[in-house]
Amino acid sequence: MSISVLEALQPAKKPAMLVLMVVVGLFVGAWVHGQYFSDRSPIQPIEFSHTIHATDNSIPCQHCHIYADKTPVAGVPSVAKCMGCHNALPGVRESKEILKLVTYWENREPIPWIKVHDLPDYVHFTHKRHVKAGIECQECHGPVETMDRITRVATMRMPWCVDCHTENNVEHGRDCLTCHK
Amino acid sequence: MSKISRRDLLQYIGAGGIGAVGGVLYGEGVQRKVELLIPQVIPPEDYSPGVATWYNTVCNQCSAGCGITVRIREGKAKKIEGNPVHPISQGRTCARGQAGLNALYNPDRIRTPMQNVGQTGAGRFVEISWDEALTTVGSRISRLKIEGKANSVRLLSGQVRGHLDELFAQFMDLLGSEHYQQYDFTYPGTIRAANRISFGVEQLPYYDIKNADFLLSFGADYLGTWLSPVHHSLAYGHLRQGRAGQRGKTVQIEPRMSLSGASADEWIPARPGTEGLLALGIANAIVGAGRYLGSDRDQWSVALEAYSPSVVSGKTDVSEDIIVRIAKEFSDNKSSLAIAGGAAAAGTNAVATVVAVNALNYLVGNLNQPGGVIFNSNSAFSTMPSSNQASFQEMLDLVDAMESGEVEVLLVNDTNPVFALPDHVGFRRAMEKVALVVALSTFHDETTQMADLILPTSTYLESWGDDAPDPGVGFPVASISQPVIAKLYDAIPVGDIVLSMARQIGGELPVSMHWSSMEEFIKDRWREEYVSRASDGEDQDFESFWRAALEAGVWGQPGAIDSDPSVPSSASIIASIADPESKFAGNESDYAFVLHPYLTATFLDGRGANLPWLQEMPDPMTSVVYGSWAELNPVTADEMGIREGDILDIESPAGSIRVPALIFPAIRPGVVAIPIGQGHAEYGRYAKDRGVNPINIVAPLMDDQTGDLAWAATRVKVKATGERLHIIKTGGVSRTLGRQILGPSNDHS
Repeated sequence: MSISVLEALQPAKKPAMLVLMVVVGLFVGAWVHGQYFSDRSPIQPIEFSHTIHATDNSIPCQHCHIYADKTPVAGVPSVAKCMGCHNALPGVRESKEILKLVTYWENREPIPWIKVHDLPDYVHFTHKRHVKAGIECQECHGPVETMDRITRVATMRMPWCVDCHTENNVEHGRDCLTCHK
Repeated sequence: MSKISRRDLLQYIGAGGIGAVGGVLYGEGVQRKVELLIPQVIPPEDYSPGVATWYNTVCNQCSAGCGITVRIREGKAKKIEGNPVHPISQGRTCARGQAGLNALYNPDRIRTPMQNVGQTGAGRFVEISWDEALTTVGSRISRLKIEGKANSVRLLSGQVRGHLDELFAQFMDLLGSEHYQQYDFTYPGTIRAANRISFGVEQLPYYDIKNADFLLSFGADYLGTWLSPVHHSLAYGHLRQGRAGQRGKTVQIEPRMSLSGASADEWIPARPGTEGLLALGIANAIVGAGRYLGSDRDQWSVALEAYSPSVVSGKTDVSEDIIVRIAKEFSDNKSSLAIAGGAAAAGTNAVATVVAVNALNYLVGNLNQPGGVIFNSNSAFSTMPSSNQASFQEMLDLVDAMESGEVEVLLVNDTNPVFALPDHVGFRRAMEKVALVVALSTFHDETTQMADLILPTSTYLESWGDDAPDPGVGFPVASISQPVIAKLYDAIPVGDIVLSMARQIGGELPVSMHWSSMEEFIKDRWREEYVSRASDGEDQDFESFWRAALEAGVWGQPGAIDSDPSVPSSASIIASIADPESKFAGNESDYAFVLHPYLTATFLDGRGANLPWLQEMPDPMTSVVYGSWAELNPVTADEMGIREGDILDIESPAGSIRVPALIFPAIRPGVVAIPIGQGHAEYGRYAKDRGVNPINIVAPLMDDQTGDLAWAATRVKVKATGERLHIIKTGGVSRTLGRQILGPSNDHS
């Protein structure tokens, strides 16, 4: 004579399954959001491809991001910089995306790019130091040269910063005041 | 495995769907706010994002001429500090200087030229183009010039120094008009006039507070508003703590305790209007006690005969003991200095008061001595016009001229006479009679409201200019004012507007005033100065000098003193000693109180009231924020049954205002003090309709000799209206509530 626990649980089975489905749904929803709707990889005002620029045409990073080794910020290229090349290239006005650029330029308006790599204001990060230390852009930004749409690959959160500082034995790398001043 | 019914399956799918939507919403919720990365369209040449550049220029928030340095990032001004190498400010600023950013980024700035299309003063302005605006002004003025009526064109400016002053003067000269004037409520005209009488030079000398041992101030709030507050604050610090083992003493004589009074060792609330008498009483005690040993001792005795301490004591309400003791301390200290300003230099006998104070300086022999009165050398600029500052009397004349239709075109630059003159003077009314009023202004103030045409001017942070600070620092100094950021809006610096007007008017104007811009003009003038000082009379090194001067923001010649170092003779001082007691408007029986309007460390004469940082800055003495108030002595208030916040009706022979009462212990009974600066009818969202303007009830009495407004010579009556208002202040209660924070005392309050 055996008493089955499963039998006793039978009435609770359906609600439990429902809850389970909600939980699974939550994870799926969050993943889908992260993949397709998040700030990790937002849809930009112009479908700019780093693959075309950095790989196909072998333009080095700092040709456009000219401040990376000089100032705290790498610098998004000015509209004038984009047009500097595109004005001179044959047939560029035929592409839909480049026409958008031309429109911005003719209206003398900046392109409202959406920030992908952003640190809170209380973090004192400077590109200059990292570039001077010989760190490749890709170590933090991932293989940008293969991205058709820019995607954040690192968390850009404090543990990630500190891990790298620790691994590389950065002087004062774990000192609070190095980044928070 | 049991089969799942179709019904259950749908429920599970539904649950999964709800979960998925929840997951997406969660993801949306935790992600950071989308920020944009806005590139420059065309980057400026010296642009590096994230890196601050500091540019040196000159502050224009008052007329002290402090050198400032402005932090620029991404082409925007972020912070103002003092220029460390500038001898006036030495790396420091005051609150008004800091608030310069509020002027630059003020939402109420005038952005385009405007024309009045309604009745004068109705404020119906429509935007027009610069071309149209300049043509309107230019054609009008050139027609008047051709008709030989150039004198009907008047230029009224705020206090302007440096080569902009010369540009204005040249413009009016070439036009053929003799009517270029400046009006600034804070201009120390009485002090300058007194110095001409006493010392033979009409100037503001360098009052060397820094090296003094004993400072006796007659009403001059040198730490808050008098002449050059930032420089004086530095000097005060040195007087107190800058010399090992030596602490200078300061005594402040004023009916209402100012910031300087609160910082003094001794505060003497003499009867208002008798400060000069007190000075003569002290002088009498110095000479009488044999503390002055000059050969002209007898002449001094005779001149001061009528001012024995006992007589003066009765008139000033300061005890004879104090007068004699101050006289002793004043003459015993090695470097004693007496200064006068504020209300003491704004009575009907203001010049006589300052002359009396000058006499004290003479008697202790501090003229041209460290810690004394050091005469400034000539201005660093050799081509400056003489002072065009209009006295109150001259402003009344201007009002008459406008009323009688003599004025066809009135150009008003950066001054607000409608606010800074009492209402009963009728400046506003008179402006209606002028055919064309052109306001050159950054902000829409009460005077601009009456204009027919508004030409928006850039702020000092966007303009070229230069300045020779007045008072100087004892040696020649000149500062360059340079734009620290690109111009905002469709406004133009006033110098460039004048040059454009000259081109528009034509004739010999654009020939003589050939500069294409203010920058070119300033550089040209500096080149001339450079050449005149260069040993070889050449300008080959000028470019490098100019770059260095621009970078430093200032040029000076420490040690070069080309003024006459000799001490002026006493004869003129003795001869000019006159009875310095002020008369008052209103008799004492009807008007029981003396009105003590005072310039505030925040708004000065009201020009700072449109800057939000200054509006929210508590008054340093009373801690009141926003609005106006009338200070009354607690005893007086008690007798009258007035409590804090009671709205008072304050009536003078010239008018009345309503203002809430503030009980303030550091004011003499029988005096009611009201801060100047609030009470604007226009002047932007932060200033408009806030508080009252005490200048409006000042009676039209003038200093006997200069014709300057005697704004501290009005009596008032005070009456509670029965209404109340909550005064906003940051200080809690002024009593110690038994906390013994003032030391072990038997304070039971």
